[in-house]
Amino acid sequence: MLSSAKHQRNHRLSATNKNQTLTKVSSISSSSPSSSSSSSSTSSSSPLPSQDSQAQKRSLVTMEEVWNDINLASIHHLNRHSPHPQHNHEPRFRGQNHHNQNPNSIFQDFLKGSLNQEPAPTSQTTGSAPNGDSTTVTVLYSSPFPPPATVLSLNSGAGFEFLDNQDPLVTSNSNLHTHHHLSNAHAFNTSFEALVPSSSFGKKRGQDSNEGSGNRRHKRMIKNRESAARSRARKQAYTNELELEVAHLQAENARLKRQQDQLKMAAAIQQPKKNTLQRSSTAPF
Amino acid sequence: MSLSRRDPLVVGSVVGDVLDPFTRLVSLKVTYGHREVTNGLDLRPSQVLNKPIVEIGGDDFRNFYTLVMVDPDVPSPSNPHQREYLHWLVTDIPATTGNAFGNEVVCYESPRPPSGIHRIVLVLFRQLGRQTVYAPGWRQQFNTREFAEIYNLGLPVAASYFNCQRENGCGGRRT
Repeated sequence: MLSSAKHQRNHRLSATNKNQTLTKVSSISSSSPSSSSSSSSTSSSSPLPSQDSQAQKRSLVTMEEVWNDINLASIHHLNRHSPHPQHNHEPRFRGQNHHNQNPNSIFQDFLKGSLNQEPAPTSQTTGSAPNGDSTTVTVLYSSPFPPPATVLSLNSGAGFEFLDNQDPLVTSNSNLHTHHHLSNAHAFNTSFEALVPSSSFGKKRGQDSNEGSGNRRHKRMIKNRESAARSRARKQAYTNELELEVAHLQAENARLKRQQDQLKMAAAIQQPKKNTLQRSSTAPF
Repeated sequence: MSLSRRDPLVVGSVVGDVLDPFTRLVSLKVTYGHREVTNGLDLRPSQVLNKPIVEIGGDDFRNFYTLVMVDPDVPSPSNPHQREYLHWLVTDIPATTGNAFGNEVVCYESPRPPSGIHRIVLVLFRQLGRQTVYAPGWRQQFNTREFAEIYNLGLPVAASYFNCQRENGCGGRRT
């Protein structure tokens, strides 16, 4: 990410140099920006003359004032007093940077403030560093934060407007495209980062899923208990059955033993009788 | 002698789920192959493929008995919403004989529990007379109590049950 940003910065600087060399030619390009922007930009917003773009920017500013009212006023001031971007390339560049960065940083601050996290370091650097290099760097850090662009439709226009407005400035298409890709990628990343903890949807869904899983867990627990109770009952029943059978068999065994004893006794009683009878019977011989 | 609280039929919830408390009046011996069924015995479907030999006691040859075999744990013991399933119904069994001398009005269907450990209950009722009991229309949603009420069979005179689960099962399945 850092390396890519550096790379981007180099690209940007070279682009600005090119622009300065092409100031005389830029009148042509600015007079007919539609051709360059339409050919280069893949965004939905139609190419506009600079005045119209300014007007749109102002309308965007008003929309962003909603966010400003919600949160930070200091950066809002900065935004108000941003130099007019028509006269010079560098200030305009910076102004644009401020303009385009502010809503993002504010939104980010808004999100982060709501999350009780640290404020974004990029906004502080822009506030403190006035030289062009640092601003470009911060732009490269902060411009990839149109995450709200994907989150909110309100800011998406601003994000792409920023790209479109840069078209007359940045003549190299490759630069624009890389920037575009970069910002898109960051939009994805940051939108996920912002969405996951902050959005009420996620929380609610999370709670629901927690409740659902809790419910399911509870049901499973109850079922498991019932099943365990059945299992115990089965075991107990079988044990009782076996015990009863043992008792029954013991009783039967005892009864049979008694019977045998009785028979033995009877036999014992009969035996001597028999013997005596035999003897007596055999005696007369 | 009424059933004690420790009786396997009570502990195994056969009395309660299928039957009302009763008194054993007649001996009932059920034998699958060489295996005599004791209450709570675990049998697999392969062991109960063919109908068992049922021998009943009693003394008066003129008394007739009805044998009912039901599975109260359909489709699964944890949720037996299709209780009960009739597996076998033999009527007009004379005392001191067995099922061979009776009238098999619902032929034997071997238990094949799809899930869980099912209790298979065999109940013996004493009929009021010969040919006073008829087969129900279907095996599903059989109710032993209702059946006994319909044909004035009163309380059972004997009962026995065994457990049956899937051939390779090793316990109840969570369903």
